[in-house]
Amino acid sequence: MASSQHVLLSPAELAYLHASLSLAPPIRPDGRSPTQFRPLVAETGILPGTNGSARICFADGTEAIVGVKAEVERTAQRSGDETVFLEEGGAGGDDDDEEEEAGQGLEKRKGDASWVEMTVEIPGLRDDDSGTAFLAAMLSEALLADGGFTKRLWINRRFHWKLYLDIILISPPLSYPLPLLSLTTHLALLSTRLPRLKSEGDEDPFFDDDWAAAPYLFPRTSSTNIATAKSTTPAAAIRPPITLLVMAVGNNIIFDPSKEELAVADVALAVSVTGSSPSHYAATGTGEEAGRNLRLLSIRTVDPPSRLTPPGLANAANTAYGPSNGTMGTQKMAEARAAETEAAEGVWRPPRGGAKRMVLGALVQKVLERGGVVDEVLDALEGVDSG
Amino acid sequence: MPLDTSTYNLALLRVDGRRWNELRRVHAQIRTQAAADGSSYLEMGHTKVMCVVTGPSEPGPRRGTGGGGAGGGGAAAGAGAKAEVVVSIVIAGFSSVDRKRHGRGDKRTLELQSTVANALAASLHTHLFPHSQVNISLHVLSQDGSLLAALINAATLACVDAGIPMTDYVAACTAGSTSTYAANDEGADPLLDLNHQEEQELPGLTVATLGESDRVVVLVCESRVQVSRLEGMLAVGVDGCKQVREILDRVVREKGRRMVQEGTVEKGIGLNEMDVD
Repeated sequence: MASSQHVLLSPAELAYLHASLSLAPPIRPDGRSPTQFRPLVAETGILPGTNGSARICFADGTEAIVGVKAEVERTAQRSGDETVFLEEGGAGGDDDDEEEEAGQGLEKRKGDASWVEMTVEIPGLRDDDSGTAFLAAMLSEALLADGGFTKRLWINRRFHWKLYLDIILISPPLSYPLPLLSLTTHLALLSTRLPRLKSEGDEDPFFDDDWAAAPYLFPRTSSTNIATAKSTTPAAAIRPPITLLVMAVGNNIIFDPSKEELAVADVALAVSVTGSSPSHYAATGTGEEAGRNLRLLSIRTVDPPSRLTPPGLANAANTAYGPSNGTMGTQKMAEARAAETEAAEGVWRPPRGGAKRMVLGALVQKVLERGGVVDEVLDALEGVDSG
Repeated sequence: MPLDTSTYNLALLRVDGRRWNELRRVHAQIRTQAAADGSSYLEMGHTKVMCVVTGPSEPGPRRGTGGGGAGGGGAAAGAGAKAEVVVSIVIAGFSSVDRKRHGRGDKRTLELQSTVANALAASLHTHLFPHSQVNISLHVLSQDGSLLAALINAATLACVDAGIPMTDYVAACTAGSTSTYAANDEGADPLLDLNHQEEQELPGLTVATLGESDRVVVLVCESRVQVSRLEGMLAVGVDGCKQVREILDRVVREKGRRMVQEGTVEKGIGLNEMDVD
């Protein structure tokens, strides 16, 4: 697993880091506040040959590129689906009726998880490396979690878009790349455009060859004026998900941990959230509060590398140091063993056991806070000039 | 899609409007990535390549064939008296017009890897770094012909950025001929820097030379070509390599000048002749 890379820190250094991170407020090695992210460089629309693309460079030098390609694919007709379609057709009347009611049409849209294919390439790792597969699964899980995403790929009953997301880590994996890959995927999806459909109903799809007319997969708030914002359904205002790495040390919750900070984490979680765009809640009248509606999609615990760190040894228990040097009896040996298992001030012990329920609750609450960190991140990403 | 090559004779213009001896737009950057020892980004027309160099460093644990490395140092596993050059190429699924997944074990990729590794191992001073390894990882973001040439150029730039001593730039370029093998056309013109469309249709070769000399480091020809046309193609290719070398040199000098101006690096003794304004 890429998260459990070896960090070359001694037990004493780990203990110091852990102690300073568990202060209130925590003191981070790079002087950030607990909710502050490291600066990053992002650009979108870098590859004209793709439907959408993005590149993000993190401050620690890790860099990722995501390209999105879409292909038209024939939807496999299953007998079960056929019967459902017939029933729906009977209830909704003929085709003209369906087109008039766009909202109803949207409900009719069906999606399938197999319409999205995600691959992750990490240099120096095999294609079928478990870590890479896990990363890809985690990212696509967040994307598919609410089931609304694949519905956007629906063209008509017979055809759909097949979306290929290729995620490439350019730099060597210096730190756990999940947040980087997730943010880059988010940006790439925001910049993804699919050709405008010209054909109607269930005929073979025929598209407008004017790329400038191609609508975004996730309609932008700036380009859609008020008139279209009204007609767009709530589902259309949802943004692609982001997966953030959040860790807890003691009772402190720390966002965007660096590699060293992750090495002393008690708990590390990958939290996937999605937010609806500001125009949506402004239109529905809840806009007085800054921030957007955030929805939790999934939580995964990530095995923090701190579990594999070597424990420190208190001076009292150290046979090579202190008063017990040389004359160590069996009784003292037992004492030493007891000391090893008990917590001592300033002695590093790798965290054991799972996350505390209170901490987990606080962590999720912090993530979903309105106008909080996630909002900031989403705003910043939306601000990246697209196209 | 068959390319209509007959139009060339009418105006002596190629499908993308170039003359026979014109390169496509070459845009390059070095030091694109902070974390790497050396990095570069190169565009030759619509072919876009990124390169990251790590090393020379202690060779890591062997990953078997999974790393997709192609040894070019001549010595095995970095144990010899020379540094081993390991090249890994990742061709992005979205790089071509139709999305295609390229596995690590793809034969074509492996061949590209070993070609780039051998070319660079010959010009890098690998004997200065015994028991070590230079990792060159290349990422193909977009393909439009002349892929091998772009890979070699990007790797050269990244090695320059990494500060690995080398004899000279290895600059690469492609050359082709205006008529196919079968057409018994006497007046076939040689072409410089083929794009994807031309590469599909016409015979072509990739040539890389060492610096300003005419010494050929790499010569790859995968298509059938009449022997009488080969010389012309090679001459045009070598000439193109010199142009490419000029461009690469300009990129390196420009970056160096900027770094001196910004005070990132001290102005060296040898740089006095270089006008830094």
